[in-house]
Amino acid sequence: MNLEFEGNEIRMKNKILTRLDKFIFNFIRILEALDIDYVIVGGYVSILFGRSRGTEDIDILVSFITNDKFKNLYEKIMEENYYFLNSDNPATLYEMLNEGLAVRIAEIDTVIPNIELKFVKNEFDKFSLRNRLRVVINGEVMYISPIEVQIAYKLYLGNDKDIEDAVYLWEIFRDYIDREKLSEFMKKMNVDGEAYGIG
Amino acid sequence: MVLDNLERERNFAQRLEFTRFYARWVRAVPNEVWSKQQAMLIDSLIENAKNLMLSAEEYLKLKRR
Repeated sequence: MNLEFEGNEIRMKNKILTRLDKFIFNFIRILEALDIDYVIVGGYVSILFGRSRGTEDIDILVSFITNDKFKNLYEKIMEENYYFLNSDNPATLYEMLNEGLAVRIAEIDTVIPNIELKFVKNEFDKFSLRNRLRVVINGEVMYISPIEVQIAYKLYLGNDKDIEDAVYLWEIFRDYIDREKLSEFMKKMNVDGEAYGIG
Repeated sequence: MVLDNLERERNFAQRLEFTRFYARWVRAVPNEVWSKQQAMLIDSLIENAKNLMLSAEEYLKLKRR
């Protein structure tokens, strides 16, 4: 794998994009058009860097937006031939987001893959958004959560698949990871990576 | 039951070992190589998902379980 690191940016060239990558790029262009800050978290982060598995949903956290801005987002999403799986009523969807729930968005006539969109909620979400990594893939940009947070959070979730994701990210980024930061997040989440050779 | 747990642990340890092996392979080859293989897998999964005859409502119900 050829990755170039510079500050908060990772550059990856010559990646053959998957349909999942293209689906996400198309969706995040909508968020960017409306100046909505986002960060991609969860399983897709390990898939982006080569983990060989599929996923039904891509977790995206966005900064809080007003009801009016959400209506703009709703309209833009519908214009671009996506739909919300949960409801076709923007007021209901906005209420869900405010209650800390996720809303799901897919291309018309499909359910998979879908975007699981949430407002940032806790300290880790906020850190991820503030410190998001800029990833440039074949010249296109997307923002993802810091790898250290991802590894700690995956260990915290603790399912087999999540631990495998954590181990995968550790193996890929072991030379670039800020070990102090990782250790700090693992401590805050009360998890230990030692059993899996992490840390 | 104890045997089941042992078996599960052994399977998981093997999967973790494979994950490490695979990550080392990904690190060792150019982006074109690993990403081509990954694209074949992920694109076929998405293609297969088209055959999923679930409505949004049914899908959400399944996810809530």
